[in-house]
Amino acid sequence: MTGSKESFISNFKAPENSRGLRSQGDQYLVDLPVPGRRSERWKYSPISKLLNTSLNTCSGEGVVWPEEILPDPVPFLDSYRLVFRNGHYVSSLSDMPIDDDVICMPLSEVGAEFTNDYHKREWVGAMNAAYHQDGLFLKVSKNVSLDRPVVIHHLTDGADIAALPRHYIELEEGAGAEVVVWSSASEKSSGMCNGILEANVSSNAYLRVDKICNEAGEIFKFSHEYIKQERDSRVKINTFTIKGHWVRNELEIVANGPGTDSTFNGAYLPTGTEHVDNHTVMDHAYPNGTSSELYRGIMYDKSTGVFNGKVFVRKDAQQTNAFQQNSNIVADKGATINAKPELEIYADDVKCSHGCTVGQFDKEALFYLKSRGIGSDEAKALLVKAYVGDVISSVDREEVRNEILRLYSERHGWA
Amino acid sequence: MSQTEEDKLLNEVTGKSYEFGFTTDIESDTIAPGLNEDVIREISAKKNEPEWMLEWRLAAFKIWSEMEEPEWAHLEYPKPDLQAISYYSAPKKKTELKSLDEVDPELRKTMEKLGISLEEQKRLSGVAVDFVMDSVSVATSFKDKLAELGVIFCSLSEAIQEHPELVKKYIGTVVPQRDNYYAALNSAVFTDGSFCYIPKGVRCPMELSTYFRINEAGTGQFERTLLIADEGSYVSYLEGCTAPQRDENQLHAAVVEIVSLDDAEVKYSTVQNWYPGDEKGKGGVYNFVTKRGICYKRSKISWTQVETGSAVTWKYPSCILKGDDSIGEFFSVAVTNNMQQADTGTKMIHLGKRSRSTIISKGISAGNSQNSYRGLVKIHPGATNARNFSVCDSLLMSSTCGAHTFPYIEASNPTAKIEHEATTSKIGEDQIFYCQQRGIDEEEAIGLIVKGYAKEVLNKLPMEFAVEAQKLLTISLEGSVG
Repeated sequence: MTGSKESFISNFKAPENSRGLRSQGDQYLVDLPVPGRRSERWKYSPISKLLNTSLNTCSGEGVVWPEEILPDPVPFLDSYRLVFRNGHYVSSLSDMPIDDDVICMPLSEVGAEFTNDYHKREWVGAMNAAYHQDGLFLKVSKNVSLDRPVVIHHLTDGADIAALPRHYIELEEGAGAEVVVWSSASEKSSGMCNGILEANVSSNAYLRVDKICNEAGEIFKFSHEYIKQERDSRVKINTFTIKGHWVRNELEIVANGPGTDSTFNGAYLPTGTEHVDNHTVMDHAYPNGTSSELYRGIMYDKSTGVFNGKVFVRKDAQQTNAFQQNSNIVADKGATINAKPELEIYADDVKCSHGCTVGQFDKEALFYLKSRGIGSDEAKALLVKAYVGDVISSVDREEVRNEILRLYSERHGWA
Repeated sequence: MSQTEEDKLLNEVTGKSYEFGFTTDIESDTIAPGLNEDVIREISAKKNEPEWMLEWRLAAFKIWSEMEEPEWAHLEYPKPDLQAISYYSAPKKKTELKSLDEVDPELRKTMEKLGISLEEQKRLSGVAVDFVMDSVSVATSFKDKLAELGVIFCSLSEAIQEHPELVKKYIGTVVPQRDNYYAALNSAVFTDGSFCYIPKGVRCPMELSTYFRINEAGTGQFERTLLIADEGSYVSYLEGCTAPQRDENQLHAAVVEIVSLDDAEVKYSTVQNWYPGDEKGKGGVYNFVTKRGICYKRSKISWTQVETGSAVTWKYPSCILKGDDSIGEFFSVAVTNNMQQADTGTKMIHLGKRSRSTIISKGISAGNSQNSYRGLVKIHPGATNARNFSVCDSLLMSSTCGAHTFPYIEASNPTAKIEHEATTSKIGEDQIFYCQQRGIDEEEAIGLIVKGYAKEVLNKLPMEFAVEAQKLLTISLEGSVG
């Protein structure tokens, strides 16, 4: 019988390591309900279609890397690189930092288990806890900044694949790191990629993550980032969905000390019947924190977009300054956006605001451009480029920025 | 402001007992507590209702018994025991009244204490008051004047007897029996309410007003209001409430349905000041209300509410903008103090082309209260050039209260334009300082700032109502500011 939660995971095989976490995952897989329309967090992103498929986890043996996809997704970037295929580490294509102050290795080779409680809250998280294959383990010592960014490239390749990567980043006091999390999939691939990234950012440390999803094929993609910030730490997360059949990006930032700064931005431009869902949670539990969020999207053709941004300001988080902006354009008949910016505020001396808009291209701006001899399509492309450009410009590395822009341009025919 | 002063002010307010808490002593005719089919039959029989009405109630009861109480709201409260409630209570002395002098002196006293004496209202503002005490209408004024124009303004039970064709045609068309748990319950057991019909092209010359009161101890109040504005008509309807002080929680699950036919305009204003419970959160009214209107072509529904009372409020006055060029508006001031909880907002469902909606929501939370805005703006694929503008502001007045915003935006049309913005902040110390410099004491300054903050909404209220609303705002918040 297909469609039940037991049958969906019946062909999954778990590696032998991390028994403790895996058995917890097994337990919660039984206890937790499957995300459905009746659940508030999943009402706009049902997964019944996925549950009706039969997927397999595969082993890391006998890797054949497809030719059309470069192992190095950002060609000109001087970086370290960890490559994964269907959840498994591909050492022949990877290039890891070797330094006394930095521990960087596949997660499967690290004995310890790290986890937040996501697997206790969500069935999808429990699945990753029980069946995760491999991922990055990165630990940067006190007051050390990693000299080059680390690129994590995950490829989903093949039919009916269940890939479950899991990454962990630990930054000690005053440490710094930049990470690019890139996921791609080959044309004929199908199945699911269910990834988790956890990061612990100690006081005065900084972490930058650029997350790019550029997946062909028909992959249901779940990705959950959980970032815990200590006192005076800085975090900047950029989430770009360039291409993806069904994408759910979840980002949860917990400020666990005073004076934290969090910036997180995102862009999504789905076409065809694509579905992109961005769920963000910013949790201010301590005073003097700031957060700034900007998500922009354009829904083309028959695509659907979902945005849910939650900002919590707990009782003691006085002097919090939180800002959230979500703009959407529904470009074609048949496209839909479901947006829900939320504020939950329990402290009084705070400045919090959110804005959410759904609109169209500015007719006057279009007219202005047309009156100067720029064709309609080109004018629209210019406007879109500027609109998404505000998000892209928050990527610090020029090489990454250019690659994102190049891929968007290619896909949407921007000149 | 210094800490001691703050405490002093807080104590002053929290020490203040509910000013409108008193019970009118009138004999009532009450059904034994409990809910089953027989109770519904009994209510229906007592009200001498036709067979179709009873069937409609029973169908609702069947639906309700299969439903579960919803839990999605941002509220925490002990669930009311629906079997412990008496579903019918009506004042016994029921005689036809032609003038105010015939009204029971006890009732007159109640009204006077509320500061809404009928004579005054009649004289000052030309308001026709349909005074609802518990569940049965006891005094209706200006009836003859309205009758001349063909306006029907009476209790719903009267309408079921005298205008069954209208009731049958429209009841449940906007809020169907299975709409939600409390709407289903109301459909099964509603005892009375107001009925209003404005004929084609008539501009109702006066504001129609109903004062609701919950009176009998242990009676749930299940009002049902049906308001029909026929083509090209206009009506402004006022609803205001106060309730006597009670220890156990009282449930109020009302339903309001508005049908605004082509080119009609309905303005529905509410001032709600039911007993909010004491400062520890004991007692108070549960206000679980379903209010919804449907707009046909070029018609307009405008909801204005000032919510200061009730222990738990759960209320979303909504508009279904079905017709092309229809307009929906929602203006709200929600004040919570002490242990009050409010989850309120609106739904604007855009179906018609060029339909427009405006949402202005001002939340004020003080004490240990929780105040949430929850709203939906939905643009259906056919609603070309639909437009929405929403502002939800929250003002926080203590470090232990909460203000939350949950706006849902669902757009499926490329021409839709939706703007939503929300801010949360506390009263600016510089603003208070500025006032104090000019000899305005702190409390007054806060009153000024709050009134200014809520002005956009208060301005939308009819004049007579705005006065009362301002009074309420001041009473609810006086000194609660830190």
